[in-house]
Amino acid sequence: MKALVSVKRVVDYNVRIQVKPDGSGVVTDGVKMSMNPFDEIAMEEAVRLKEKGKITEIIAVTIGGAKCEETLRTALAFGADRAVHVKEEGDIQPLTAASALAAVFKKEDAQLFLLGKQAIDDDANQTGQMVAALLDLGQATFASKVDIDGSKITVTREVDAGLETLELDLPAIVTTDLRLNEPRYLKLPDIMKAKKKPLEAISFEALGVKPAAGLKTLKTTAPAKRSKGVMVKTVDELVTALKGKGLL
Amino acid sequence: MNTAEVMMSRGLRLLNRFSGLSAIDRLGLRKPLENLIFQGTRNSFRTAGAVARTFAATQKLLQPARLPKARGADLFDLSPTEEQQMLREAVLGFALEQLRPAAQAADAALAAPDELLKQSAELGIAIMGIPEALGGAGNERSAMTNVLVAEAMAQGDLGLAVACLAPAAVSTALVLWGDESQQAKYLPAFVGENLPAAALALQEPQPLFDPFALKTRARKQADGGYVIDGIKSLVPHAATAELFIIAAELEGIGPALFIVESSSARLSIEAEPAMGLRAAATGRVVLENVVLPAESLLSSANAEVYAECVQLSRLGWCALAVGTAQAALDYLIPYVNERIAFGEPISHRQSVAFNVANIAIELEGMRLLTYRAASRAERGSDFAQDTALARKLCTDKGMSIGSDAVQLLGGHGFIKEHPAERWYRDLRAVGLMEGVLLV
Repeated sequence: MKALVSVKRVVDYNVRIQVKPDGSGVVTDGVKMSMNPFDEIAMEEAVRLKEKGKITEIIAVTIGGAKCEETLRTALAFGADRAVHVKEEGDIQPLTAASALAAVFKKEDAQLFLLGKQAIDDDANQTGQMVAALLDLGQATFASKVDIDGSKITVTREVDAGLETLELDLPAIVTTDLRLNEPRYLKLPDIMKAKKKPLEAISFEALGVKPAAGLKTLKTTAPAKRSKGVMVKTVDELVTALKGKGLL
Repeated sequence: MNTAEVMMSRGLRLLNRFSGLSAIDRLGLRKPLENLIFQGTRNSFRTAGAVARTFAATQKLLQPARLPKARGADLFDLSPTEEQQMLREAVLGFALEQLRPAAQAADAALAAPDELLKQSAELGIAIMGIPEALGGAGNERSAMTNVLVAEAMAQGDLGLAVACLAPAAVSTALVLWGDESQQAKYLPAFVGENLPAAALALQEPQPLFDPFALKTRARKQADGGYVIDGIKSLVPHAATAELFIIAAELEGIGPALFIVESSSARLSIEAEPAMGLRAAATGRVVLENVVLPAESLLSSANAEVYAECVQLSRLGWCALAVGTAQAALDYLIPYVNERIAFGEPISHRQSVAFNVANIAIELEGMRLLTYRAASRAERGSDFAQDTALARKLCTDKGMSIGSDAVQLLGGHGFIKEHPAERWYRDLRAVGLMEGVLLV
């Protein structure tokens, strides 16, 4: 059984994000980029399922420019067997990305699609859901536990009221949450082996995907700076201050 | 004749005429007059130079002429490859998340935790340098990759980095210089799950220790074996190591490397707690006429091999110094920006800001020299001089950066809650290991 895992190249989570002066986006030049942490969790889960013998092949997929190849190499070092690079420079709309991923899933005839629940750059949390809708397949989002039994997959997901357990027929779409697993450290020999694994490049055209144009980013602004706090000496003063601001 | 030349010749003529007059001597006027005329003449010379030039286009240019860009300098490109970058980042993640938090306890306990050594073995640093034919994962020998890995490990902690990397030093030596039977005997253990504790032992407890003038002696026996006698000091995890590579003076030949198993008879270990590198559990290996088989000698005591071993080892220490100094800098920058004194961050004081800037500059110098030596080693060029330069800079600047880090942290630098004092102690080892710098 094949599993497809999507990985996205994003600004590293340790980097302090800076907005471009013209408001057209955030600075990515000379900024450290790495694999979206939720995608790392998806990758780790796929590797664990393979180690348990539940799946036989892991295919990593990404969409983006030439630099995204690095992210795919990381996925290959993690344990993916091969990688698909949907090569497209420039801005990619969410629906376009979902359509392309759905097309790859169909083309590869995979049974399980693991995605991070969201990417830490735009925090959209929609790709997995869109792919499921486009393919008309079952979806289990925010997975905190995954188990495959024959042609069924059991997913425990974190919801506001606690945990919810779902059983889905395969093929299915699963998006991974933070507490699903703790990704392993990449082994150095695996990094060296990664460059020998197959990496295929493919275009939107070849996948039959037409870029959508439904979303336009108007402006990016930095969050307002927090003003300095005020120290109060007594509880009474605090209550008065809160009342003065209409908070009580 | 243009104006300037006319003035010049008039001045000279005036000088000649006056010098012929005896009256000026009588009147005591010769000196002032000479000065006057000299000044006048000199000024006219100056004007002569400036006025003589006229700027005029001698040729017609269709476009501005500029020098072409120098060709891409392949030979001085020290930037890591994409793969090296990935390796470095993987090691750095491990070092910062696992080594750093464990460092203080390991320093106090004089030992690296077993769990951590196991984890670092799983990372596969040793396997990476062992050829695929022997079950390893290495496909090329790269001194540069090794330097980058050592640097990244030391960014976590120097003592623990030494503890984690010591077995890889032994496996690398066996890969580089072991013969087929030595490799077949020892290397399989280094690719297995349970990595043996092992260490390279060059250092001796001698004043002004010079690795090329060893006091540890080896004598060839009639049966082809060797008897080795002497003391090796500051050997990483000496007490737990199963295998050593020991440097000894082979009588009549010169310095040589011997494979010595720790279970050998008349080999004993003494604890030797030191100021730094405490997590590496350094100790003395005492050899009292230890009998070794003939096949324990590496590379038939080739002098070049021994020199290369010393240089590579020194280069490793340079890389460790660079990593530790980088850790210090990365710790200092946020500290001086956040620590408030006199109502503002201490980095607003120039004495603090300049000091941090100097650390960054010196560190980059250390790094460049180290990388250059490594890249020469990788290309197979002679790298003795580059290593010596790198070692000198890494020793001096490493120690001063360690000291500055303690100083810049103020009172916090002195206490163990912050890692600066440990870096200060550890960085002193760089100039000591594999021969004092004075030699």
